[in-house]
Amino acid sequence: MTAKFPEEADIVRKMKDTIGEEIVEAKIPRPRRILIQVRRNAFKKAIQHLTQKANFTHISTITGIDVGDEIEAIYHLSRDGKIELSLKVRTPKDNPVLPTITDIIPGATLYEREVHDLLGVMFEGHPDLSPLVLPEGWPPDVYPLRKEWTIEEIEKEVAKGGKR
Amino acid sequence: MGFLKWIRAKSPWILHFNTGGCNGCDIEVVATLTPRFDVERFGIIKRGSPRHADVLAVTGPVTRQVKDRLVRIYEQMPEPKSVIAVGTCAISGAPFIGCYNVHGGIDSVIPVDVYVPGCPPKPEAIIDGLVKLISKLRADQE
Amino acid sequence: MPYPTIRIPFGPQHPALKEPEYFMFEVEGEYVVDVKPRIGYAHRGIEKAAENRTFIQDLYLIEHACGICSDAHTTCFTQVIEEILGVDIPARAKFIRTIIAELERIHSHSLWVGLAAHEIGFDTLFMYVWRDREIVMDLLELVSGNRVHYAINTLGGVRRDIAPEKSEKIKKGLDVLQERMKYYKEIGETEQTVLKRTAKIGILRPEDALALCAVGPTLRASGIKHDVRADDPYIAYDEIPFEVVTYDECDVLSRLLVRCDEMRESINIIRYALDHLPGGEISVKVPRRVPEGEAVGRVEAPRGELIHYARTNGTTKPERYMLRCPTLGNIPSVCKMLVGGYIADIPIVLAGIDPCFACMDRMAFVDVNKDKRWIWSGEELRKYGINWYQKE
Repeated sequence: MTAKFPEEADIVRKMKDTIGEEIVEAKIPRPRRILIQVRRNAFKKAIQHLTQKANFTHISTITGIDVGDEIEAIYHLSRDGKIELSLKVRTPKDNPVLPTITDIIPGATLYEREVHDLLGVMFEGHPDLSPLVLPEGWPPDVYPLRKEWTIEEIEKEVAKGGKR
Repeated sequence: MGFLKWIRAKSPWILHFNTGGCNGCDIEVVATLTPRFDVERFGIIKRGSPRHADVLAVTGPVTRQVKDRLVRIYEQMPEPKSVIAVGTCAISGAPFIGCYNVHGGIDSVIPVDVYVPGCPPKPEAIIDGLVKLISKLRADQE
Repeated sequence: MPYPTIRIPFGPQHPALKEPEYFMFEVEGEYVVDVKPRIGYAHRGIEKAAENRTFIQDLYLIEHACGICSDAHTTCFTQVIEEILGVDIPARAKFIRTIIAELERIHSHSLWVGLAAHEIGFDTLFMYVWRDREIVMDLLELVSGNRVHYAINTLGGVRRDIAPEKSEKIKKGLDVLQERMKYYKEIGETEQTVLKRTAKIGILRPEDALALCAVGPTLRASGIKHDVRADDPYIAYDEIPFEVVTYDECDVLSRLLVRCDEMRESINIIRYALDHLPGGEISVKVPRRVPEGEAVGRVEAPRGELIHYARTNGTTKPERYMLRCPTLGNIPSVCKMLVGGYIADIPIVLAGIDPCFACMDRMAFVDVNKDKRWIWSGEELRKYGINWYQKE
């Protein structure tokens, strides 16, 4: 951790004080950008710390990525609109479940629905995970952003039909 | 019937419908109504319902959500009707070819009479397309 | 107070052809009691397609995510990829990018003022504003070659320079625009037609705006002073002085006034940038292959905070590209604003967040007391609102 960016370094240090062993990686690539990966069991605690203690109360969006055997969810949070902290957490692809954060940040509701639609992640405790962006009649289990679904295969599957 | 055709060719009523595009073509279609371009001097009026429209001006690459609705709107229009595809997306789906939720090109779904290329086409080009359509309607009638 | 006339659903209903509504409103008589968004009208599958294209192809794909803020998308894309590449673009390119970004903001906000006027039936104002908006469209075409989708940004800088003669034309155009926009703002603040439909309508309290993570003019009209250009500066915003505009009334009128003042600020930013345009190159060469890495880009698009994320894997194509448009960030807030309001206010409150208007084409209604359902198009709802207020 570099002393070049003191405010960002301080945020990382305080996170380490709270959930130290559960942090997989922490980076400060440039001013106003922090990237932290945590283990799934410490994820909710990390969100609570960031929103309640470190004042990262704004969520810009949630990025979902298929990284092979796991799905990685990146929560893009910001503090006063200034520092952007991307909190990464992974969950196994054969049973991708993460706790919802809508009880802490109501504004996350549509972002969780989108990741659910496109990658199949189940957000436990979300009040309504109904489809947000995919059309009516989209075949179940076709998660477009998963790597195993190529464009050609998606089109073949959708052409076959099948209700959602 | 000849009289009605003449009336239609004189002042076509247009329904504008977006099938999931970026809105670039839509703002240029709307711009044709505004004072600099003033498409109403050709007697062209925008309508809100397919049942009153002679011409369907469609933009966008036809997303899956909207395909059935596009077909229904076309079916609800009374004959004789025409379709003008505005913009490159409406013509071929580009640049969204290879996007899983896009059909690509209006004419894969409904018949098209006039194609106006551009990304987006300028309001002058859209008016040119409409004028060509009116000329075609008049020629058909003769 | 009369209940709304029960309308026959728009068009024949075929059970097999189910088209999702983009907003479903639960109403009791005149009032909205719940709103369920179900967007997806314009979901094309851009993020997946981006993984199959090279970076320069993706620049053009992502530019077309939105026709009204296409420059914001390319500014964000180049910010992200240039960060991973470790490239610093020339100073002149930063200023040119800023000038185009602000011209786009003016085009977008004036477009919005016109459409908002149309929503409340004030078509004269719509026509006047869009006539004057053509000044900015001409300037965009002068500088970039196109009125919409300017493609001015490229990886490593900008594609076209701004010659001194063009600079003079831009300043002259801005002088005219400034006078006109001042006049339209006065109309907004004083015309009864506007005030009746926008003052104290669509309230979003600051604490709700923050909890629901609103962005852009919607957030700033609730008094919250957040603007990515000031908070997380990019391109030339850290070198150009400007004000972040906020208003405190939390209503649609505030959102109108925020946008009017932002246009004034944009005009000042462009003038400053033209007067202080650094010399030098307008771009640097960048490699086709992008090293492994990841980056987050944030830009203040006309509608609010725009965020992109990229992960690269050392090839010529991205591993993952994510973009979140500002409108998505404002949908929970607009649902909050609509609940407890009149059905007649739906069009202007929805318009107040400046959404992509494709998403507003089809709205379903359920009257919970009467077990009646119906569907209105945006046009039908707009006319309902105008008639309702005329009777008031």
